[in-house]
Amino acid sequence: MDGGTPVTGEAPSDDALLVLFANGEAQAARELTARLGPRVFSVALRVLGDRAEAEDVAQEAMLRLWRMAPEWQPGQAKVSTWLYRVAMNLCLDLKRRRRGGSVNIDDVPEPPDPGQSAPEQLQDRARADALQAALMTLPDRQRQAVVLRHIEDLPNPEIAGIMDISVEAVESLTARGKRALAAALAGRRAELGYSDG
Amino acid sequence: MADKNGHIDLDGLFDAARRDSAALPEALSERILADAAQVQAGFAEPPARAPSPGLWRQVMVLLGGWPALGGLAAACAAGVWIGVSPPAFLPDPAGLVSAAQSEVDVLGGYSLSSLYLEDG
Repeated sequence: MDGGTPVTGEAPSDDALLVLFANGEAQAARELTARLGPRVFSVALRVLGDRAEAEDVAQEAMLRLWRMAPEWQPGQAKVSTWLYRVAMNLCLDLKRRRRGGSVNIDDVPEPPDPGQSAPEQLQDRARADALQAALMTLPDRQRQAVVLRHIEDLPNPEIAGIMDISVEAVESLTARGKRALAAALAGRRAELGYSDG
Repeated sequence: MADKNGHIDLDGLFDAARRDSAALPEALSERILADAAQVQAGFAEPPARAPSPGLWRQVMVLLGGWPALGGLAAACAAGVWIGVSPPAFLPDPAGLVSAAQSEVDVLGGYSLSSLYLEDG
């Protein structure tokens, strides 16, 4: 996802699509939903660990994007960065209101990846589930930083903008988060498909 | 994905998580698009126009609002009062209308037209 000016013949940028949406172009909404919807839903699911809550966050974040569209200034920031920031703040707000944490990864049906064999899919699923369970043991801000950096694969400066912290703070959060994950996963090596020796 | 010391390879787990990333549920996609359509419908309505300020209000704004107008009114009132009933050290303006401007005859009794005739 980029926010740059589209080159003739290439697909329009997120910036351009948002401007088109603000000008009444319905197809722009479908294109933006296809591009940004999965990302915001996926990151919300990783941060919250609850599918229903992740859907609420994703829908609310996209609604705020639609409402903001007429005020969007192309070229100043990335649409995806803005959307991630809204989603992360919504996740934090929701976590504060929630009483107790719950991990409901078992009710998350995922479509099969046609590029993987069944055993590989199962192994990936098991590892992803174990990772998610370990992520839920982290403090909220550490979990956000680790998900954005190591699953969404965003660069540290962008994460700093999303979380409204310095790049050094992002590096500190991700480093501490990874150490905590490793400790939480140490007792689950068999589940992860690792063999001894 | 574990090294010889049995340490967990987190990078491998992160890769697995990325491959396992959740697709956007169809029902959620429909709700997002329904929201988009509703918001876009609101864009099509012309914004409610605020009534344009009357001429008097525009003048007020130019002059600096009520405080400035209050000072202006006071100055005008003072000017009218001085004109109608001047202080003792000022001449009565009513008397100045018909009075001669000066008691000194700068032409020395000559008329201006006779001065022009002497030029020939």
